[in-house]
Amino acid sequence: MPENGGYMAAAYGLTAAIYVGYWLRLRARARRDTALPPSSPAP
Amino acid sequence: MTGSLPAPGVDVAAARRLVRIGLRLSGLGLAALAGVYVLAIRFTPTEASQGLAQKIFYLHVPAAWTALLIFSLVGIVSALYLWLHDPRLDLFASASAEVGVMFSAVMLTTGPIWAKPIWGTWWQWEPRLTLTLFLFFLYVGYLSLRSAVHDPAERARFSAVVAILGLVLVPFVHLSVYLWRTIHPMPIVLKPSAPSLPPEMLRTLLIGFAATLLFYWGLVTVRYGLGLVTRAREAEAMRNA
Repeated sequence: MPENGGYMAAAYGLTAAIYVGYWLRLRARARRDTALPPSSPAP
Repeated sequence: MTGSLPAPGVDVAAARRLVRIGLRLSGLGLAALAGVYVLAIRFTPTEASQGLAQKIFYLHVPAAWTALLIFSLVGIVSALYLWLHDPRLDLFASASAEVGVMFSAVMLTTGPIWAKPIWGTWWQWEPRLTLTLFLFFLYVGYLSLRSAVHDPAERARFSAVVAILGLVLVPFVHLSVYLWRTIHPMPIVLKPSAPSLPPEMLRTLLIGFAATLLFYWGLVTVRYGLGLVTRAREAEAMRNA
């Protein structure tokens, strides 16, 4: 059997980085964009 | 026709709820994908001739199927938008397109990593690979177009036309291995006859596809909800102006 586990590790690592990276970026954007606007100062 | 699209009749609180549901769904999808990693590496037999590199198949193929499914969906929804002018269709198309580009990035990076040990080369300018790369760039252009055009109605109309071009390209990507001589292997699951794959490998592939679809559904729900929040705020700002 060929010894090519390094390619598998690279592909699995890169895929995880893309999926988790995108999800974290979207979650950060969701937190920023859905934050309630600061309340206006009392008159 | 220029002018602003009417904001879909959803209040900001409902859109926020949608974002929260999407984050939970996509988090669940990520956990399911982690399970697929374990299933593929630990509990699925290693193919004798390709060795461990063949296990890239369980990430590459679900990402490719999902990306092509998303681009087909975006094209269909965009055609419906041109017909019905419902802003929710444009919102769904833009949300899906961004996620589709992310999945096609996975397809286009895992493919060459798998190709190197098996074909002896990272890349070949042959029909399947070239058409897939072209589809990826078409959708990168779609996203650039959306950020460059500020008028919402024009943005929706122009990007819908690009998405329909992408829809025309999708069948050629799938059928390219039948239409031209190509180094890329023929389909072993999505073909007229029964899948030519051992049951354990087919099971892992299908579970991987289901997990990828769940992840997609969660991500697109978040993106759609964020789009609703933005449009509701824009509409509110216009009313207050």
